[in-house]
Amino acid sequence: MGQHLPHALAMDLRATSSRTALLLQAVALHWRDVPLLVVYGVAFALLHWTASPWGGAGFFSLWYPAAGLRFAVMWSRGPRLAPWLVLAELCADIAAGVFHLDAPDALQAVTGAMRPGLTYGLALAAVLRLSHGRDDILALPPMPLGLAAVAAPTLNALMVVPFEAFLPADAGRYRIGIDIVISLTGLAVGDLLGILVLAPLLLWLAALTDAPRRMRFAPPPLRPVLEDALVIGGCLLLTIALWRAELGAQPAPGLLAGAWIGLRHGRVAAWLAILAQILVFLPYSAGQLDDAARLELHLGIAAVVLVTWLAGSFSDAQRASRTLIDKRNRLLFQAERLKTLRAMSVAVIHEISQPLSTLAIEAAHLRTVTQGLSSDIADSAALVDRKARALSDLVRRLRRFGGRDVDEPSPLPVAMLVQTACQIVAAEARNSGSRLECAAVAADLAVQAQEIELTQALVNLLRNALVASPGETVSVRTRAIRDEVRIEVTNPFKTVPAGSGMGVGLAIARTIVEAHGGTLFREDEAPCVNFALTLPLLAGASA
Amino acid sequence: MTDPAPASTHGDALPVAVLDDDADLAATVARLLTRNGIAAQAFVAPQELLAALPACTFGCVVSDIQMGAIDGFAFADLLRASDPLVALVFMTAWPTTAHAVDAVRRHGGLDYLEKPIDEPRLIASVLEGLAWSIRERRIAAVTATFTRREREVFSLLVRAHSNKEIAERLAISARTVEDHRAAIVAKTRTNGLAQLVALSRGEEP
Repeated sequence: MGQHLPHALAMDLRATSSRTALLLQAVALHWRDVPLLVVYGVAFALLHWTASPWGGAGFFSLWYPAAGLRFAVMWSRGPRLAPWLVLAELCADIAAGVFHLDAPDALQAVTGAMRPGLTYGLALAAVLRLSHGRDDILALPPMPLGLAAVAAPTLNALMVVPFEAFLPADAGRYRIGIDIVISLTGLAVGDLLGILVLAPLLLWLAALTDAPRRMRFAPPPLRPVLEDALVIGGCLLLTIALWRAELGAQPAPGLLAGAWIGLRHGRVAAWLAILAQILVFLPYSAGQLDDAARLELHLGIAAVVLVTWLAGSFSDAQRASRTLIDKRNRLLFQAERLKTLRAMSVAVIHEISQPLSTLAIEAAHLRTVTQGLSSDIADSAALVDRKARALSDLVRRLRRFGGRDVDEPSPLPVAMLVQTACQIVAAEARNSGSRLECAAVAADLAVQAQEIELTQALVNLLRNALVASPGETVSVRTRAIRDEVRIEVTNPFKTVPAGSGMGVGLAIARTIVEAHGGTLFREDEAPCVNFALTLPLLAGASA
Repeated sequence: MTDPAPASTHGDALPVAVLDDDADLAATVARLLTRNGIAAQAFVAPQELLAALPACTFGCVVSDIQMGAIDGFAFADLLRASDPLVALVFMTAWPTTAHAVDAVRRHGGLDYLEKPIDEPRLIASVLEGLAWSIRERRIAAVTATFTRREREVFSLLVRAHSNKEIAERLAISARTVEDHRAAIVAKTRTNGLAQLVALSRGEEP
């Protein structure tokens, strides 16, 4: 026991240290992050400064767009950046003179400035982890984003007390005691508003710069825009009327309008509704108001904004799930059709084999008995026999491929796979005026495969390529890379004609290839579209 | 076409029955066998063949598996019930692995042929079936006159057990074994153990 304990401890320590090493590796700073961090520091300081008019006792601001910036960067680049964002915020704060390192309350100031970044990182990591691999509607995009947008400021506010607890309490920025609820609420409200107003815009811009081609701006249809404008306009008028009637700033009309717009038209409409509310109320609340009135007003706005955003997110998530189900249904339909087709062809093969049996036996007999007769009769009989025999062979071969109940995996030469697939689509290529260029395949390459399925996968890729670039050359190249074979299908990029397919072919191909332990991915080489299919080579096949 | 092995044409050759609900194919296969020196008769319905059984003895039946009311396997069971010593060869247009295994294991099929039929293989299977049937029938004919005890003694005797061993096994005296042995030799009209062993293997006397 006395000997075991240190050993176990050492093991434990090693395990911990390796875990720490992994964590450190994950958060390590990359060179490409540096410009982002610099820009982030500057923008953070600016946004921090713009928030000051909405300040109050016990909290910094009731409208804090800097939180939106922090959230957007962390969401799009990952929570691993959290420590570095904290560092950038600290530098920005010091440079802007928000606090001085030689001041007596420097410790409180520094920890207070570090807390939000760290809690945001934790909240985002937790939400991403929890929603990973789950299948309910809360885990469907964009619901995790909406949940994280609520979780991050909440956690930030909740962590204030633990952070302050172990520090000398004399000069805390957040008043400890009776007003703590006010302080924390103010903090959470300011962050929440900042996130929900600014982060969606920033994330949309980030997506736009990352993939400019995929995001195309289509003018929104007129009807929903009119409807939403009416709803939001009516709600604002109602709010103002209630307020004029000395009933205070009532959030109820805003809540109704937000939920309506969000649920009906998704996140973009929800965000525009939020923007409208903010534009109406923020200038007013920045003016001469006492803290209590301002807090009350902002609580109302926060409730409206939150409901609007979550409603929009939920609507989008549902739409995404519906699309997913539609796609699955189409796949099932296709699979069902393939199954029927297969059953039909099997039936045809079997039905042919019955009369063919008679024909082949009689033809062989005829040939034997006519051997001594005139060459004309003998030749005819021999020809009939030969054809019947060929047909018998064909039926046997077809039965071996299609008639089996399950297509057993067996060694398959890659050259044969490529050749068969090219033969199958050759006619389509001729019809569309395209050219099919099959590079020679080394004869010793082989994979363990279900031949029909794998051929189908390659055929699907070839078909997609042919449809996407009519009149051009589609090339198929095959080479071995270590223990894998890589088949590339390349075609010049052209815009895909609308309605050219359901996009199911690619999904089927990917499913088949992955079932064979391979991968299928798109790796474009401008100006060509390039799909690469890799499969594990059969060990010993090259020997 | 390669000529098939010459068929056995000795006296006790048994005819073959070909059963397929496709009359043309049944007739064609029967004619093919006849051409190769094997007497064959075509049947279209299982009942027809079963009805003909008491009158004529077949050495081998070539049967389709998918046939209307009675399928090939059910027919095989009926056939075995009325004549256990007939050889069976199955043919089918719907080959499956499960069927192939069933045909050989459960229904005692000698072979399982896919249509279109491989002629040399069909002829080889049928010849093998005929030889098996003739052998079995000879053994059955020899042992038919034995009593239960004589059959036991005979089966041990041809497996090279001595009189003493047989007496011990069957818990009878060596004298009784000798008596049984004498009766066996008298009934089979054989001369010595070697001939008895040949008999037990169905070889021609």
